[in-house]
Amino acid sequence: MDFYLGLLQIIGVHTLLGLSAYVVLLTGQVSLAQAGFMAIGAYVSAMLTVLAKWALVPALLTGGAAAAAVACLVGFPALRVRGLMLVVATLAFGEAVRLFFFNFDYQIAMGGIKVGPLGGEGFRQIRYFPENGWTTFQVMVFIWLTVGVVMTALWWMDRSRVGAVLRAVGEDEVAAQSAGLNLTAVKVSAMTLGGFIAGVAGGLYAHYTTHIEQGNFNVLVATFAIAYPILGGLSNVFGTLAAVVFIQGFLIEGLRFLGDWRNLLFGALIVLAMNVRPGGLLDAQTMSKGLSALRRLLDPAYGSAAARQAIDGLKDAGAMFRRLIAKWKGAFGA
Amino acid sequence: MLFIDLLQSIADGLLFGATYSLIGIGFTLVFGVMHKINMAYAAASVAGAYAGLTLLKLAGLPPLLVIIMACLAGAVFGLLTYVLCFWLIPLSHPLATLMSTVGMLLLIDEIVVHLTAGMPVNYPTVMGGMVSLGSFLLRGDLMFIFTIAVLAMAALMYLIYRTRLGLATRAVSQQPVAAQLCGMRLGQVNALTFTISGALGGIAGSLIGSAVGLLSPLLIAPLTVKGLIVTVIGGLGSIPGAIIAGLLVGAAENVFQFVRGVTERDIYVMLLLFVFLVFRPGGILGADPGRN
Amino acid sequence: MLELRQLCKHFGGVRAVDQVSLRVAKGEIFGLIGPNGSGKSTTVNLIAGLLLPTSGRIVLDGEDISSLATHQRVARGIARTFQNIRLFGQLTVWQNLWVAENRDRQQRAQPVMPRWFWGCEGDRERLGIALEFSGLAHKRDDLAANLSFGEQRRLELARALASQPKLLLLDEPAAGMNAQEIEELDARIRRIRDAGVTVLLIEHHMELVMAVTDRIGVLNFGQKIAEGSPAMVQNDAKVREAYLGTAAA
Repeated sequence: MDFYLGLLQIIGVHTLLGLSAYVVLLTGQVSLAQAGFMAIGAYVSAMLTVLAKWALVPALLTGGAAAAAVACLVGFPALRVRGLMLVVATLAFGEAVRLFFFNFDYQIAMGGIKVGPLGGEGFRQIRYFPENGWTTFQVMVFIWLTVGVVMTALWWMDRSRVGAVLRAVGEDEVAAQSAGLNLTAVKVSAMTLGGFIAGVAGGLYAHYTTHIEQGNFNVLVATFAIAYPILGGLSNVFGTLAAVVFIQGFLIEGLRFLGDWRNLLFGALIVLAMNVRPGGLLDAQTMSKGLSALRRLLDPAYGSAAARQAIDGLKDAGAMFRRLIAKWKGAFGA
Repeated sequence: MLFIDLLQSIADGLLFGATYSLIGIGFTLVFGVMHKINMAYAAASVAGAYAGLTLLKLAGLPPLLVIIMACLAGAVFGLLTYVLCFWLIPLSHPLATLMSTVGMLLLIDEIVVHLTAGMPVNYPTVMGGMVSLGSFLLRGDLMFIFTIAVLAMAALMYLIYRTRLGLATRAVSQQPVAAQLCGMRLGQVNALTFTISGALGGIAGSLIGSAVGLLSPLLIAPLTVKGLIVTVIGGLGSIPGAIIAGLLVGAAENVFQFVRGVTERDIYVMLLLFVFLVFRPGGILGADPGRN
Repeated sequence: MLELRQLCKHFGGVRAVDQVSLRVAKGEIFGLIGPNGSGKSTTVNLIAGLLLPTSGRIVLDGEDISSLATHQRVARGIARTFQNIRLFGQLTVWQNLWVAENRDRQQRAQPVMPRWFWGCEGDRERLGIALEFSGLAHKRDDLAANLSFGEQRRLELARALASQPKLLLLDEPAAGMNAQEIEELDARIRRIRDAGVTVLLIEHHMELVMAVTDRIGVLNFGQKIAEGSPAMVQNDAKVREAYLGTAAA
């Protein structure tokens, strides 16, 4: 049972991480700094609960705020560049944060033992949950409540003017400028919001694992962060959730019986997924199909239509597969 | 004495930096032609070095030829990256190729870990010894990799600026549509670019292996980051820029290590990148500041 | 209203715009014409703020706006359309209009939350008018990318109007249109003018320009060679030589 609870915790935290990259991606920026922001949130909130004895929620919010502040500061110089330059700049920043914590010592004696972050050793004994008698189940519920709040807020934001503005900037910066939008303000805001969400994710991560070190926030994690929304598609927040469940639940845990080979499959599947569905697993077209199917399913008048829709969906998948094969054949024949 | 040590670390860094230049050129070549970043590049380079070593052992050739073997293997990996990550993905999805090359990076990394059981492999050191100039020492192996790297760069420059193939590459990078109308096959030029950059990567991988004395999958992540930093500092798409930036990063890295120690070294390399982004976002030789 | 004073833009050695001075009066439709490569589009981009001038001034209602960013110029009442339509294809028709910032200062003084999230009082009305004007009310929730070419042009025009500009820059709005569509465009431009918006029209299509504009400026090789009423410009010797020359010959 604890295994599944743990898995749910991982999925929850990674969903938050993916959502933090989702917000930034909407404006057309690829940020590989999300793991760095997560690290800042993790260390700050853990230091607050362990060293300063804060309560959890204020500590999480402060951790998020600290990450947001750093994200805002990074935003300004990094936004002088666009596209691929930004990828490199944020990648370097994320690594710099990780290396900072690799060199960061701040320990104080508490009840006979020294606690606090200690360079490469990391930060042990983040015992807020056990000390306050939380069960694993309660921790999982708390994490998913946070995920629920963030997802609802982002879903609502997507449907408000902000969503349109973020997407407009992501689609065509020149047109967005000419429609009167302040590009710097929009992009830095998105970066800051992304930083906040990543910071909260880091705080939750630190408290449920009870031990963090710089290696937990490496390039691979940053890559995961952008992989979720890209794989899931940018049409809405559920794509990101679906991608996290697919990667963390299915590829990493579900395929554990494959042993070492599972990791090989993981990279190969990403390559394959991008070849088959370059717009993401749940792109706009698929989403609108799915939504209309759902609507019909809920409407009794369309009961039989729903079944037909499901069959059509299967046919679609078959056609897609055939197209892919034809494409490969054509490519090799030519 | 301190001054001599500082000079010594700069000299070592400059010599080793030539390998960063090669990696930077590989990134920049692909960017110049396709306006895409191939995140799997450094991984493919290291894999090329591994494969070169394996080929060498299988064929029982003298150690010096490991570079040529790695170059060939690297070219194959470069082409493979193109076929798997770029060929079938439409240009209208820029994020998709970024992600597919990241997938490729993970795949190559895992294959290497899997086949070597995660253990470092000893790599033949081609030339040892020291050359002393007064109180100044030049490491023979570093001199050797510097020489090979310079030769590889010269060959590349010749290829790009003196042959028809290079002309086609430059034409495609500047005006892809016009080049196509002139009868150049975009796919072929792209594939060739990946093959050439892969060959360079194989050379770079084997040089790094012989300088360090061993190969490990742990080399991949830092090499990816450093290569990208070199590319940006040099100016995206600029080959001479990448050469200068590679030497600069190599030297700066050693100076930071000398002054602040090995654990903090890379933080300052990242800061160097940010200094460039703020004050010279187009890079050393980038014409178009920060735009693509 | 709008004044260009010795405006210059050089790209390397090329003088795309060279010492151009113009005055556009409030409430008029001003045409800017010239052969290909004469610097018309560069001039529009300079006025809109996508390019910064090498030297010279751009003055709007007495205020020097030469160094302001594009969005600040929109806030001061300059909106534009593009020669090659630039809509947000993955947004709906309504969202395309919704994105456009309102110029109105009173609106800007409103609190941030409604302005960014659910819209201010009067927003719905303002955007409704723009939507009505585009004639796309029945396609409100369609993606912009799925509209026909003519509909996209209309939507782009409506988006520019949604920011309630004082000055509207139209960059070749008739490109790719047939005779009937151009007639409709003519009527639209007049309606915009009648609503109190000054229009600066850059156009290749001579019939439209001659019919709709009050005054015309002619550019050639980045320099202004003539300015005046359509009739005056048509009879100007320099213009004939540089531009209508082939037609006159």
